[in-house]
Amino acid sequence: MNQQLQLLVAIQDLEQMIRDTEDETRAREFTEMGFTLNGLDNLKKSLIELETQLDPRHRNYYRKLTQKFGHAVVPVIGNLCMGCFANIPSSFVSVTHENKVLHCENCGRILYWP
Amino acid sequence: MTLTEVLKHTSPALFLSELQATDKQSALEEIVGGLIAGTPITNRDTILQMLQSREQLGSTAVGPGIAFPHGRTLAVRQLTILIARAARGIPFDSIDGAPTHLFFVLIAPPHDSGNQYIRSLAVLTDKLQSAELREKLMAAPDYDGFCKTLQEA
Ligand SMILES: [Zn+2]
Repeated sequence: MNQQLQLLVAIQDLEQMIRDTEDETRAREFTEMGFTLNGLDNLKKSLIELETQLDPRHRNYYRKLTQKFGHAVVPVIGNLCMGCFANIPSSFVSVTHENKVLHCENCGRILYWP
Repeated sequence: MTLTEVLKHTSPALFLSELQATDKQSALEEIVGGLIAGTPITNRDTILQMLQSREQLGSTAVGPGIAFPHGRTLAVRQLTILIARAARGIPFDSIDGAPTHLFFVLIAPPHDSGNQYIRSLAVLTDKLQSAELREKLMAAPDYDGFCKTLQEA
């Protein structure tokens, strides 16, 4: 898997964890189950560290997509982009193991095959 | 959500009867190794990184001898639950400082329809407050015995 794509996925996962922790309702659900959520600063530091490893080109595109759609990286399931449900051509699927970051031709989101 | 519904997200292949790890980092690695071996999931590094981040937020070893590592990641398509045991116990930064023997690991996709993951976590954390149940679970001979014990409690 492309190392930049790996980073993009990790960044998106981490941003979601940060959002969940900052969301009062969600955070309360966790604390009521007995979990402590004291390390938000650690997560933010890790996020900055990950972002510095990103190629600026990918970073800017990721930011743009996140602002537009909420999620920049979307899974491809059953040959469909789970962002816009456009069909991902099989020619695309055959190159998924190439060392590239691929985009949906319809919506532009970054594609990930889980 | 019932316990039976929660247990639909696990399987005998996701039951690690006896972890070999002796510290937190290697326990997480062994757990993720079990997930990869027991499912079609492939992205080991992403899941490990997510679980490590979650531990940075605060240890998930919240009960006596029990931990619930959890989180959401693009690396999985559906809620997946792995169960692991460690008879000797593994240091896991628990709140009471005691080693952890039982692990319920919940990994969910980012789009978690119906909050399945939060609800499963709530069912499990509630159920496993019983010390008697935790002891019985440690003694269960196999996956089927484990699930049966959990459902009978
Ligand atoms: Zn699309």
